[in-house]
Amino acid sequence: MLVPINWLKDYIDVDVSPDELAELLNLTGTAVESIKTLGEGLDNVRVGLLLDVKPHPDADKLSVTTVSIGQPETLQIVCGAKNIKPGDKVPVALIGAHLPNGLVIKPAKLRGVTSYGMLASRAELGMGADHSGIYILPEDVEAGKPLAEALGLDDTVLELEITPNRPDCLSMIGMAREVGAITQRTMHKPEVTVTESTEKASDVAGVEILDPDLCPRYSARIIRNVKVGPSPTWMQERLQKAGMRPINNIVDITNYVMLETGQPLHAFDFNTLHGHKIIVRRAKNSEHMQTLDGVVRELDDTMLVIADADRPVALAGVMGGENTEVSDGTKDILLESAYFEPTSIMRTSRSLGLLSESSSRFEKGIDPNGTVYAADRAARFMEELADGIVNKGVVDVYPRVILPKRLPLRTDRVNAILGTKLGVDEISRICRRLEFTPEVIDRTTEMWVSVPTFRPDLEREIDLIEEVARIYGYNNIRSSLPESGDKQGGLSLRQKIAESIKLRLVAAGLSEVITYSFTDPHDVDKLQVPEGDPMRWFVRLMNPLSEEVSVMRTTLIGNLLKVLKYNVNREQYDVQIYEVGHIFWHEQGKELPDEETMVSIAMTGARIPDEWYEKARSVDFFDLKGVIEAVLDEVDAEGWSVRQFTHPVLHPGRSAELLIGDESIGFFGEIHPEVQAAYDVPRAYVAELNLNKLIDKANTVKGFTEIPKYPGISLDLAILVDGSISNDRVLDVIKSAGGSLLKQVRLFDLYTGKGVPEGKKSMAYSMLFSAPDRTLTDQEALDAQERIIRKLEKELGAQVRA
Amino acid sequence: MNNVSSQADLQRILKEGETAVLQASNLKELDDVRVEYLGKKGKVTAVLKTLGQLSGEERKETGKVANEVRQKLESDIASKHEELTRAEVAERLATETIDITLPGREPVYGHRHLISQAIKQITDIFIGLGYKVAEGPEIELDYYNFKALNTPADHPARTLQDTFYIKKHSVQPADDDIVLRTHTSPVQIRVMKSQQPPVYIIAPGRAFRRDVADPSHTPMFHQIEGLAVDKHITFGDLKGTLEEFTRQMFGKDRKIRLRPHFFPFTEPSAEVDVSCGICSGMGCRLCGSGWLEVLGAGMVDPNVLIEVGYNPEEVSGFAFGMGVERIVSLMYGIPDIRMFYENDMRFVKQF
Repeated sequence: MLVPINWLKDYIDVDVSPDELAELLNLTGTAVESIKTLGEGLDNVRVGLLLDVKPHPDADKLSVTTVSIGQPETLQIVCGAKNIKPGDKVPVALIGAHLPNGLVIKPAKLRGVTSYGMLASRAELGMGADHSGIYILPEDVEAGKPLAEALGLDDTVLELEITPNRPDCLSMIGMAREVGAITQRTMHKPEVTVTESTEKASDVAGVEILDPDLCPRYSARIIRNVKVGPSPTWMQERLQKAGMRPINNIVDITNYVMLETGQPLHAFDFNTLHGHKIIVRRAKNSEHMQTLDGVVRELDDTMLVIADADRPVALAGVMGGENTEVSDGTKDILLESAYFEPTSIMRTSRSLGLLSESSSRFEKGIDPNGTVYAADRAARFMEELADGIVNKGVVDVYPRVILPKRLPLRTDRVNAILGTKLGVDEISRICRRLEFTPEVIDRTTEMWVSVPTFRPDLEREIDLIEEVARIYGYNNIRSSLPESGDKQGGLSLRQKIAESIKLRLVAAGLSEVITYSFTDPHDVDKLQVPEGDPMRWFVRLMNPLSEEVSVMRTTLIGNLLKVLKYNVNREQYDVQIYEVGHIFWHEQGKELPDEETMVSIAMTGARIPDEWYEKARSVDFFDLKGVIEAVLDEVDAEGWSVRQFTHPVLHPGRSAELLIGDESIGFFGEIHPEVQAAYDVPRAYVAELNLNKLIDKANTVKGFTEIPKYPGISLDLAILVDGSISNDRVLDVIKSAGGSLLKQVRLFDLYTGKGVPEGKKSMAYSMLFSAPDRTLTDQEALDAQERIIRKLEKELGAQVRA
Repeated sequence: MNNVSSQADLQRILKEGETAVLQASNLKELDDVRVEYLGKKGKVTAVLKTLGQLSGEERKETGKVANEVRQKLESDIASKHEELTRAEVAERLATETIDITLPGREPVYGHRHLISQAIKQITDIFIGLGYKVAEGPEIELDYYNFKALNTPADHPARTLQDTFYIKKHSVQPADDDIVLRTHTSPVQIRVMKSQQPPVYIIAPGRAFRRDVADPSHTPMFHQIEGLAVDKHITFGDLKGTLEEFTRQMFGKDRKIRLRPHFFPFTEPSAEVDVSCGICSGMGCRLCGSGWLEVLGAGMVDPNVLIEVGYNPEEVSGFAFGMGVERIVSLMYGIPDIRMFYENDMRFVKQF
C-alpha cells in the first residue's frame, strides 16, 4: 500500500523523518518496500499563467508565449506543443532548473527568438509517461507558486507491504493508528457531521439482505442532486500519490474514503436501480452481468451479488455493474457501505480472476462496525464537493451485531512464550496503545482483553502475545539458549555413510551437480527405455511450468547427460560428475508416490588431461568401474560382483550390473551409441546405484587382520587363454587352486596382438604366497604355482607363457 | 720362491697397487683394483698364500711385510673411495637439477556442489547445538505440507498458481491432495508425530514452488528448516539460537535483527535480517538498508502443536526456515541463482 506521509499527518503527529518512520515500521511488522520523495528536481519549476500565445515568425511548428509567474515582469518562452492557449496554467521550468529527466534549462535562441525557460509536459517533470503535450494544470492553482507546493508534491510516499493478517492497516487511518501505537501518540479520526435534508433515506430506498451469512451488514445513504464533475486538485493529487486514478468527484470520493478508512464504498446511480431497491443475494446459476470493466461475466450460486428489483447491479465487494454506473448525468446516488464475508469475496474474486482494491480489502476482513462512519464521511464530501443533498438517516441492515472479542491473557503465559518478565501494568499499557481494552482480573496473572472489530486477526491468546511482543519490540527481548542440556546432536549412522560415499566420489575426482527433480517425459524416449519399463511409471505434475519439466524423474541419467551436453557446448570437455537425488515412480494403491535415493554418475572426456609429464587418457569403462570400486571400498561391502547386464540405455558389450550378495544395487557402463546421438554428447559412461541399498550393505564394524610376520614369496605367471574367458573366471581358478598360502593375486598385464595367436589373449598375474606361522620355502610356493597352472590348463585350456 | 724375492714382489705389488688406486677414476674401477690386489685371488692374497712354504722366521718376516702392504693398500682404497664417493655425489647433484616451476602432478579431486557445502556448513553448526538431521519425502500430502502447519484453506499457496500439484481433487484443499513440498516444514510434522518432545531437528532438502526461473527464483530450491520443541522454549531462545548460528555462519561481528511478520505456522513470527558484511550495517549497494534478510522464524503456533498431539500448555517450540540459495548468493555475491542448476563445471569447480 502507498502511504503519502502528508496524508497520514491529517490523523497523527509525525515528528520523525520518513527514514526514521520507515525503520520503526520495519521493526514492528510493516515492511517498507520503498521510500519515494516526491517533487525532486522541481526546485526551479513554477506555476505559470499563459498571457499570450503567438506563432513563431520563422517556424511553423513553434509558438512564442508570454508567461506570467506572479511577478511584474513576464517571460518570453518558445514552445513546440500545440495544446496551449492563453489563460492556461502550465508548469514553467525556469533558467537553472534541473529536471528529473536530466534536462538543464538555459536561455536558448530558437530560430532567432530567445526563450527564457521551458513549458513542461508530465513526462519531463517525472510525473508519469505523458509527453503528448504541456501539462495543463488545474485552474485553482496559484500562478507563481513553486509547482511542487501548488500540487502538494513536497511529500514522501511510503510503499508498505501489509501482511495478510493486518487488513486494518490497508487504510490511512489504520496506518495512523499503527504509527500511534509505535510512537506512543494518539490518532485522531476526523469528526464527521452530515447536514441532512428532511427526506428520509429509508422512505425512498429499500435494502434487503437475503443471505446474511455472506453479507452481515449493509449500510446505505441517499445523496440527491449531485453535480458530477472533476474532484478538487488536492483530492486528485492524494489519490494519485496513493496509486489511484482520479475519475470524477463521486467515484473519487468513494475511493478517497476507502483509502482513508479502509471501508470500500460503491456509488450507484440511484435512478437506474429498478424499484429503488437493493437486494443482497446469491447469484443464480448462469445469471450474467456486465461489470464496470466492460466484461460480461457468468455468475453462479456461490457468488454474492447486489441486485435491484430485477437484476444484478454489482458483484458484491468485487466490482460494480455498468447498468447502474455513475455518469456525468447522474443526479442521485445510493452509496453502499457494506461488510461482506471475507471467504466468499475471495472465492468470487479468484474464480472470476477479478482483483480490485475493494475485493482485496473485503477478502482480508474489514471492520463491520465501520460502515456508517465511512458512509457519513463520503456523504459529507458529496455535500461539500458535489453540491449533494444528503437524505436523512442511514438505511442500515445489520441483523446480528458483531461485538468486540474478549480474549484471556495470562501474564505468565506471555513471559513463558517470550522469555520476558513483563508485569500486568506494562502489558496493559501495550494493549491500550493498540486501542484494546484490558480488564485486569488478577493483579499478578490474569486479564481479559477486549479487541476492537477492526482486528479480525486476533482470535486467541497467542495472537495477543504476538501483539505484546511486537510493540514491546522483538529486539528488546533478551536472547537465551534452550535450557535443556541433555540433547545430543549428530548425523545418524545411515546419514554418515551417505556423507562418506559422497566424499569418496569427490576424492575419486567426481564433482557434484544438482539438477531439477522434474524433467521432460521425452527423456525416457531418448534413453531408449522400452514401453512398460518402471522408468516410465511417471508421477506427473498437474500444473507444470512447461512440458520439459512436467514429470518427476525416474532416473537421474537423463539430467546428467544434459549437464554433459551443457558443458561440452561450452568447451568443457572433461566432465566427471555425480548427483545424489530422489527418483519417483507411481505405484497403484499407495497414498504417496514412491521415492528412492539414487547416486548416479556420468563421465566423459579425458580422465587425465594432456600434461607435460603424461599423455591425456580418455575416460573408459574401467575408470567408471574404479570409481564404483572406490565406493564399495568405502562402505566395505562384502561379496560384491558384476554380471552382464542388458539395458537399452547402455552399450550391450560394455555394461554391467552391480550385485552385493544376491541383491542388485544398480548398473553402470557406456551409454548406447543411440543414446549418445539422442543427447548429442561424446562417448560417456554412466552409473546409477541405489544409495539406500548400498548403505544397507555397508559393513560398519571392521575387523582386524594380523599383519604377516614372515616374508612371503612373490611369483608372476603369464598365461594364454581364449579371448572370451573373463578375468573373474581366471581368478576363481587361481584362488581355488592356490589354497590358503595364496594371499594376493593381481592382474598386472593384459595383451593381445603381435606374438599372441588370433582369438587368444595373454594375461599376467602377480601372486603372493605366505604362511602365517613360518617363512615359506621356495619349493612350497612353486608347488602351489604348479597346482594353479595344472588347474588353469585343465579348466580353462590355458597355456603358460615362457 | 725365497724370502727375499717374496718381499721384493710385495714391494713391487705395493707400488703397482698404489698407482692403480691413484688411477681409478670411479668406484667401479676402484673396486676392480681392490679385487685385483686384495680379493680372494688378488696379488697380495697370492703372496700371502705362499707363506706356508716358508720357514718360520721367513714366514714371520714376509707375513709382516705382506700385512703392511695390505693395510697400506686398504687404507689407500678407503681414502680413494671416500674421494670418489664425494665426487660422484657432487656430480649427481650437479646433473640432477630440475625446473621447480613446472606444474605438479595434480591428484584427481572433484568438488562438492556449493549448495551441498552450504547445507553441510549449516547443519554442522546446528549439530554442534544439539540438533539431529531429519529427512522426508519431496512429494507430500497436502496434510503435512499445509493443513497440519495451520495454513488456511484459502491461502494463496494452496492454489495451482503457486504450488505444484500431483493430485488435487477440487479448488477446496483435501488432506490427500498431493503436492511437491513447498518447504521442508512437513518434515517437522512427520517427526513430531513420530516422537515425543524434546525435539531438536534440522531438515535440509529440496523444495518446490511454481515460480518461473529468473535471477532470483527457480522452481526448485533448497531449504533448511529447524525446529526445537521442549519444555520452557521461549522467543528469547529463538533469538539466541539464531544469533549463535549467525556468528558461526557469517562471522563473529555480524548481528541480527528480527522484524515481526506473518506465517501461518508460527506466532509470534519474524523475518530475520543479518547485518551486511560489506558495510557493517551502514547501508550499501548490496544491502540497501544495512541488513540482509536471510530467514523466517517464530514460535510454533499452538495449533500446530495440538495437531501433532502435543500439549501447548506443557511444551513450546520455535521453528525457522532459510533458503540456501539465497544465503549462498549473499555470501559469495552470486548474481543469478539459476547458475546453481546449470552445473557449469567452471562454476562448480570454483568452490
